[in-house]
Amino acid sequence: MDSLATLASATWGGPLLVLALMLPVAALMLAFVLGGRHAERVVLATLPIGLGVAVAIAAAIIHQGAALHYDLGGWAPPLGVSLHADGLSATLLLTTAVVLCAVGLYARADFRVPPGVSEARAPLAFWTLLLAVWAGLNAVFLGQDLFNLYVALELLTFAAVPLVCLSGSPQTIAAALRYLLFALMGSVLYLLGGALFYGAYGTLDIPMLSARLASGDPIAPAALAAAALMTAGLLAKTALFPLHLWLPPAHAGAPAAGSAVLSALVVKASFFLILRLWFDVMPASLTHLAAQVLAALGAAAILFGGVLALRQARLKMLIAYSTLAQIGYLFLVFPLVANPAAAPILDLGQTPGAWTGGVLQLVSHAFAKAAMFMAAGLIAGALGHDQLRGLGGIGRVLPMTVFAFALAGLSLMGLPPSGGFASKWLLLSASIETGQWWWTLVMLAGGLLTGAYLFRVLAPALSTRGPPLTLVKPVERSRELVVLGLALCSVVLGLVPFSSFGLVQIGRLGATGIGLP
Amino acid sequence: MTQSSLLMAALGTPVLALLACLWRPVRERMLGLLVLAPLPALAAAVIALAGVGEGGRWMLDPGLLQIGLVLDRPGALLLGVAALLWGAAGAYAWTYLRGKPNGRRFAVFWLLTLTGSLGVFVAADLLSFYLTFALVSLAAWGLVAHDGTVRARRAGVVYLLLAVLGEVFLLLAFVLLAVASPGDSLAIGAVVAALPGSPWCGPTLGLLIAGFGLKAGLVPLHVWLPIAHPAAPMPASAVLSGVIVKAGIIGLIRFLPWDAGLVDWGQALTAIGLCTAFYAVAIGITQANPKTVLAYSTASQMGLVATVFGLGLAVGDGAAVTAGTFYAAHHLLAKGALFLAVGVVAATDARRLWPVLAPAGLLALGFGGLPLTGGFLAKLAVKPVLGVGLVGWLGTLSAIGSTLLMVHFLHRVAANPAPEAVASAAPGLVWPWWVMCLAALVLPWVLAPLGRLGPWSDTLGWAALWGGLWPVLIGAVLALGLRRWGERLPKVPEGDLVVLFSNAGRVAAALGDALERADGWLRRWPVAGVLLLVLALVLWGAMLAGTR
Amino acid sequence: MSSVTLFGLCGAALVGLGLFGLIVQPGVLRKILAFNLLGSGVLLLFGVIARRGGGVVAGNGSDPVAQALIITALVVAFAATVLAVALLRRLVQETGRDSLDSDG
Repeated sequence: MDSLATLASATWGGPLLVLALMLPVAALMLAFVLGGRHAERVVLATLPIGLGVAVAIAAAIIHQGAALHYDLGGWAPPLGVSLHADGLSATLLLTTAVVLCAVGLYARADFRVPPGVSEARAPLAFWTLLLAVWAGLNAVFLGQDLFNLYVALELLTFAAVPLVCLSGSPQTIAAALRYLLFALMGSVLYLLGGALFYGAYGTLDIPMLSARLASGDPIAPAALAAAALMTAGLLAKTALFPLHLWLPPAHAGAPAAGSAVLSALVVKASFFLILRLWFDVMPASLTHLAAQVLAALGAAAILFGGVLALRQARLKMLIAYSTLAQIGYLFLVFPLVANPAAAPILDLGQTPGAWTGGVLQLVSHAFAKAAMFMAAGLIAGALGHDQLRGLGGIGRVLPMTVFAFALAGLSLMGLPPSGGFASKWLLLSASIETGQWWWTLVMLAGGLLTGAYLFRVLAPALSTRGPPLTLVKPVERSRELVVLGLALCSVVLGLVPFSSFGLVQIGRLGATGIGLP
Repeated sequence: MTQSSLLMAALGTPVLALLACLWRPVRERMLGLLVLAPLPALAAAVIALAGVGEGGRWMLDPGLLQIGLVLDRPGALLLGVAALLWGAAGAYAWTYLRGKPNGRRFAVFWLLTLTGSLGVFVAADLLSFYLTFALVSLAAWGLVAHDGTVRARRAGVVYLLLAVLGEVFLLLAFVLLAVASPGDSLAIGAVVAALPGSPWCGPTLGLLIAGFGLKAGLVPLHVWLPIAHPAAPMPASAVLSGVIVKAGIIGLIRFLPWDAGLVDWGQALTAIGLCTAFYAVAIGITQANPKTVLAYSTASQMGLVATVFGLGLAVGDGAAVTAGTFYAAHHLLAKGALFLAVGVVAATDARRLWPVLAPAGLLALGFGGLPLTGGFLAKLAVKPVLGVGLVGWLGTLSAIGSTLLMVHFLHRVAANPAPEAVASAAPGLVWPWWVMCLAALVLPWVLAPLGRLGPWSDTLGWAALWGGLWPVLIGAVLALGLRRWGERLPKVPEGDLVVLFSNAGRVAAALGDALERADGWLRRWPVAGVLLLVLALVLWGAMLAGTR
Repeated sequence: MSSVTLFGLCGAALVGLGLFGLIVQPGVLRKILAFNLLGSGVLLLFGVIARRGGGVVAGNGSDPVAQALIITALVVAFAATVLAVALLRRLVQETGRDSLDSDG
């Protein structure tokens, strides 16, 4: 952590972090005040700027080869609030900005203020909530203090929950309540963990806490309990199996643009905090056994979610269960990064592949899943329903949408050349290298299940038998292009040679900048 | 034009054609242009085989991972004959599918499969190989299931299931290869060189043989062949049986460590190959559909190639690769031609069959080693590898079996002419068949030096001719017996072993029901709430246990 | 019994009650109330622990940082309650029921 102390408050890219945080908040207020048709314009004007900021942050980090840091108001922790962006944060900021830009363009048709009215409930709610989600995500990715992160995560949840029930139907309201209450239960556990940390070490600032944890010889059982409580709380918000009760109805019930944001980004925020907790706060405590427990849950999620996805009757439910399965892959990172041969000491320099693979899985899933939900939204909008039984021949009517869906699906399945393939290759290699071959079987079985449920969608979609479909509503070419663009993003990630993905290693413990093969 | 740019063009042409399909006017006409797509690959192969230069090589990043394309002798041989068959079958497809629905979709899947199929012969590194192999495997589903009938859809599902299974085997094998290799390079040669010293050598070889064997149709993973071939349209069957199974053969050629002398694995592969060679004949003679018979014959022939490879692997002899490649190249040409012939016969009335059946008979008996056919040369090429011992005898026995199977095929195909009194095949079907027929008869003689065949005096000596002839005669006599008493044979369904899994669907459904109920239980609020608390305790316990 | 122990026990009891209610009670309104109990209990514990912990800056035994955190957390919990009640109100208006377990 010495490097951080020397860097403190003085990196030249620091103000960019403030911009990344303030831009969505300012736009949120502006959109709320102006209201009506202006909300949409504010969002669409802000999103490209936000994308530019995210690109600038990533560029600054690559250029400096070190994390960005900024103390708000010049107050350093423990009293002040500081923002911090390492390579992982920058990657996620960038992913968020790209996905949100696509969602914004896509959602214009769904959330247009109808002519003759000056303001409508759903559009205003959607556009302001989109900005709120964005602000919450950026706050999570930039936060440096476990309590600030708690607040950021709550803001994110409060913004995400209403997205679920924008349609206002009783089912979606029930789904939203279920989501909110379970997330609240998780956040209370997180807060309890925070209290224990504070009691034991007197700070919640990540670098200080981590330094104190590392200096005290035996880690207090209270600190371990704190970590366990926090992790469990975050797992509830990530909907890792078996805590997924809220995810399928919430993600399937939201409007397509909302589902894309929820599935691609919101569940990743709490996962990001788990990474922060284990790899930044207490890297020495990630024991072999704990990592195996997390990965076992992930493996169960992969298999269980895959089988359940295979048995859904509705396209959006299928995609929601697919999210459940894909989240599972993320948790395989823990035992693969923490090499049991050298347990519990963590050296990311030793197995950078697993780390990169995990992040790549996160990013490519974000792109692919957003594309899939939006494609499903187009299909549901055009047909008036999303029953799998009624999808026969949709490929002839909406070829570009189905093609985008298939591309995204190939990435999820892990076929080359896609981000999903690169990530699975890295994770498979890491599990062989660390002698944990059993995870390879899980990953491969998960790939088979993914292929099977995609086949259930694509085979009838490409079929040419049966009566021709009639569309209840035409589909704009521009929206199809947006979906295709996102799907292509998830594929192109696999074409980026691994070396240029060293960004995700910058600022990690034990990793020395761009050091990948 | 340099060879490396020709190599690029070989793969680039079908890719460009695919991209052009995004444009509607081109898409409408693409079916008629399929014949042109493999021509650059043919040119590249011919130039490489003529020995003008070093063979093409094109690297994306020569220094680090060594991702790229390379054209060597075995690759060029198979690439050339494959491109020829793709071209002829593409021309055939134009006539065969013109006026039928969904020709555009067929053309797209055709081009995808073509890209992958040509790619596997020239891929130089693990990633390119995996990409092209996955492309040829998965895109071929569109050809198998093209008709959209219940049967074609079932065939598509079985095909895809096994193809994806093969992909899984290979992905794991490739990861094991890459991890065991000391350097960063992903070049196939480099990683395979490190294989014998790998701590996971056994599992890697097992997965490689399973994955490639599945594609090549080795027992017991051959079941997709007899299900997919009859269901696919005629030109698609031709490339499936001719070219696509060769993706497995080139995989074995590229990924087995030939210099290491792995006796156990060599013997295992030999045993699998011999089992396939005889088992496929035994099942094949019970089949009525000529395309199914041909599919079993393909499995049997690939079994013989695997036998040759196994013998070479056991003694560390690279000559087996040369012989096996030559054998596979002949099989590619002749089997492709025979599938086209089935379509021609089906469009010709019973009285005008002989102009088709006679040359088809020559090709068919060539698989038994009929002297002066291409198959005769192929048998001669593998003879030194098979040797004179037990395996040599079994090889001769398999030639008898092949003759028996092929006479059965001729019998079946002659029984299925066009139902009309006067019918003749369209010229667009006939000339591709003639091209392939001539190629299968003549090209092996041209390419014989590549098969390391001895001097012509030996090849054409009486001993060699008689050695080729007598198994064919015995096979023909047995075939007479089969014709007489064949009714008594049990009727084996297409895909034989698949029936063992006929209730797999029910088991899977029951399992799915159980999991769905479990999901309903887990998603009840009190259950999930308690699980959350339990999870926190478990994690705490796991951490406490670790720190002690 | 010192005041620290008393507050600690109170906090633990509130957490226990809150968790029980949140998990077992089928009615959403009761769940929301239980969440408030749970949150109060956790914040009480937070206060107690922080008083004992290393964050004590001055010698007077109180930690302003912890108090600031608790107040912020109260506001967050209040916002959560408002959102939950608003959703529940809408649910009851639409369906007339206030339990979650009957839907999928």
